[in-house]
Amino acid sequence: MAKSRIANQIRTLRFLNGEMTQAQLGERIGVTRQTIAAIEARKYSPSLEAAFRIAEVLGKRLDEVFQWEPAANQHESCE
Amino acid sequence: MLIMINIMKTKQNIESLLSHREKVAWLSLATLAVTFGPYLIAMAANPPSRPLPDLRTMSFFASAAVAHLVLLGGGHLWLRMRFPADARAPADERDRAITLRALGAAYYVLIVGMIVVGCVMPFNSAGWKLINTAVAMIVLAQLVHYGVAAWSYRRGWHG
Repeated sequence: MAKSRIANQIRTLRFLNGEMTQAQLGERIGVTRQTIAAIEARKYSPSLEAAFRIAEVLGKRLDEVFQWEPAANQHESCE
Repeated sequence: MLIMINIMKTKQNIESLLSHREKVAWLSLATLAVTFGPYLIAMAANPPSRPLPDLRTMSFFASAAVAHLVLLGGGHLWLRMRFPADARAPADERDRAITLRALGAAYYVLIVGMIVVGCVMPFNSAGWKLINTAVAMIVLAQLVHYGVAAWSYRRGWHG
């Protein structure tokens, strides 16, 4: 399966938030530690609600945590 | 000594990487393969020729079913004792998305199997052939269910 086109800064932001662990973040938003690991590795795209919760816990706006990566050919055609 | 420590650490990392439901999917795949696998292979290679009820075939089927139940139950118990916190955690949105995908795939296999066994085969087959085809289709549907779940956990699934 191709990686999700939704990039994220969760790992960096966790460390900037007092080295929060995946388990702590997962507990606060109501998912398992393995799901946080899958989101960080772009193996799972969270629901909109989970994404907002992650941003809220990390104290950032949604677009600071998650970014949409346009496809390479789509990017070229725009230019 | 260092190699042993590295092996232990790698094993721990793998164990902690897998969610409880992924471990259950792998466990179910393994138990199905080692119990109903030999039964179905034996039945395909040497179909029972005696009329129903054939006690020898029936006891073979019963032993496969009981072995499956014991191994699956033992595996669940071991997982609950080894990783109690993971086992207690309720299913989250990723678990639910993967379960939905796995059940959806298994549903089609089961429907095809039931059409074959219930609507096509009764015209030209009977007895153990019919029973074993039904068992094979149920096992296949279960393999698809747990296989898709395990694959989705490993390779990723975006819901």
